[in-house]
Amino acid sequence: MNGESKKILKLTFILFLICAVTAGVLGVVNEVTKDRIYMQKNAKTIEAYSAVLASERYEELTFDKDAFPTVDVVSKASNGEGWVVQTTFSGAQGSITMVAGVDNDYKCTGISIIEHSETSGLGANAASTAEVGVNFRAQFIGQGEDIALAGAGGSIEALTGATITSEAVTKATATSIAVVKSLG
Amino acid sequence: MNIKKQFREGLITNNPVLVQQIGMCATMAITTTLFNGVGMGLSVLIILTCCNVVVSAIRKIIPDEIRLAIFVVVIAGFVTIVDLLLQAFIPALSAALGVFIPLIVVNCIIIGRAEAFCQKNTVSASFFDGIFQGLGYTCVLICMCVFRELIGSGRFGGGLIDIANGFRFTLDGTGGGIQLFPSEYGASIMNLPFGGFITLGLLIALMQYALKKGEKKRALAERAAAEAEANKEDESC
Repeated sequence: MNGESKKILKLTFILFLICAVTAGVLGVVNEVTKDRIYMQKNAKTIEAYSAVLASERYEELTFDKDAFPTVDVVSKASNGEGWVVQTTFSGAQGSITMVAGVDNDYKCTGISIIEHSETSGLGANAASTAEVGVNFRAQFIGQGEDIALAGAGGSIEALTGATITSEAVTKATATSIAVVKSLG
Repeated sequence: MNIKKQFREGLITNNPVLVQQIGMCATMAITTTLFNGVGMGLSVLIILTCCNVVVSAIRKIIPDEIRLAIFVVVIAGFVTIVDLLLQAFIPALSAALGVFIPLIVVNCIIIGRAEAFCQKNTVSASFFDGIFQGLGYTCVLICMCVFRELIGSGRFGGGLIDIANGFRFTLDGTGGGIQLFPSEYGASIMNLPFGGFITLGLLIALMQYALKKGEKKRALAERAAAEAEANKEDESC
């Protein structure tokens, strides 16, 4: 073996060694944090479900995915109060995952945003627990399928500087009601 | 390498953002609330210190040809660790900073320090370099957050400070902050990237002014000392 290939072998070996050590460490950290991360995500979803429509259990229903591509899950509340619909759609910056409650009169019982990547201080207010976010989301309660922003003939006041986010959330709420209606 | 000099360099004379002007992307994107700023600053500080120590510890066995690849592996490793820990223990911060935590991998502060400092210096010097450069970065982020949050939303300490039930610090990002004036009167443009550019520009200008002034003062003091020396010699004649 000549000097050149020996050197390449040596470089490969060192890089491999360092990658292997890093991978090992990451494996350990992943093992330690895996359950907690899963719990945190799950807790958020459960909290969101019970915030929009409280029920003991939720039964997942099948729906027409082709007609409603943004809908992830439609669940029926076991206490017969209505449905909870989970949707994922694009906002101003990235995708937003939210749940909306729908009652037996096909009116929205509330919305809760689980995950988003909207601009902090603007679109992110839609999910915020501060007054501005709470007031924004409160507007959705009692709205029907014809829900729209105030600028488009509806009654939802958009968040300041976040029309795209507000519109996306409004549309998703309308879709949630529509998918429940389609199930009859 | 003395610690005092490193401290001065990290925070002032060689501040990563204001003087070296590296790591600007995240600086502009996340400095909208104090919670984000402190969280991001501390994440970078921890990652930077860990990477500095590891890189300087293995600097003798890293072949020159593949040093960048190795730096990136080490950095990516620590960033992933911090990312996972944040997701597990401070999910609100992880949600607020979003993609900018994984993006620390390509944050040039860390690879820049590895390349410029750690591969030539001892472990302890690199450790302090990590702490002080990280602190310098955190300080700039905090300044920008305070300014942008105040002008943009009329608030101080959003996410971090909760005054609803008495003054307390929150780690779950739910604190409303201290509202100094109604947010409707804020210039919300300060929350957008535009506000980031303006704030950073102002800060850099201020820093350059202060540095130049400091230099002049030092030059004057040196000249005065030299003159005094000369006078002394005259008198002794």
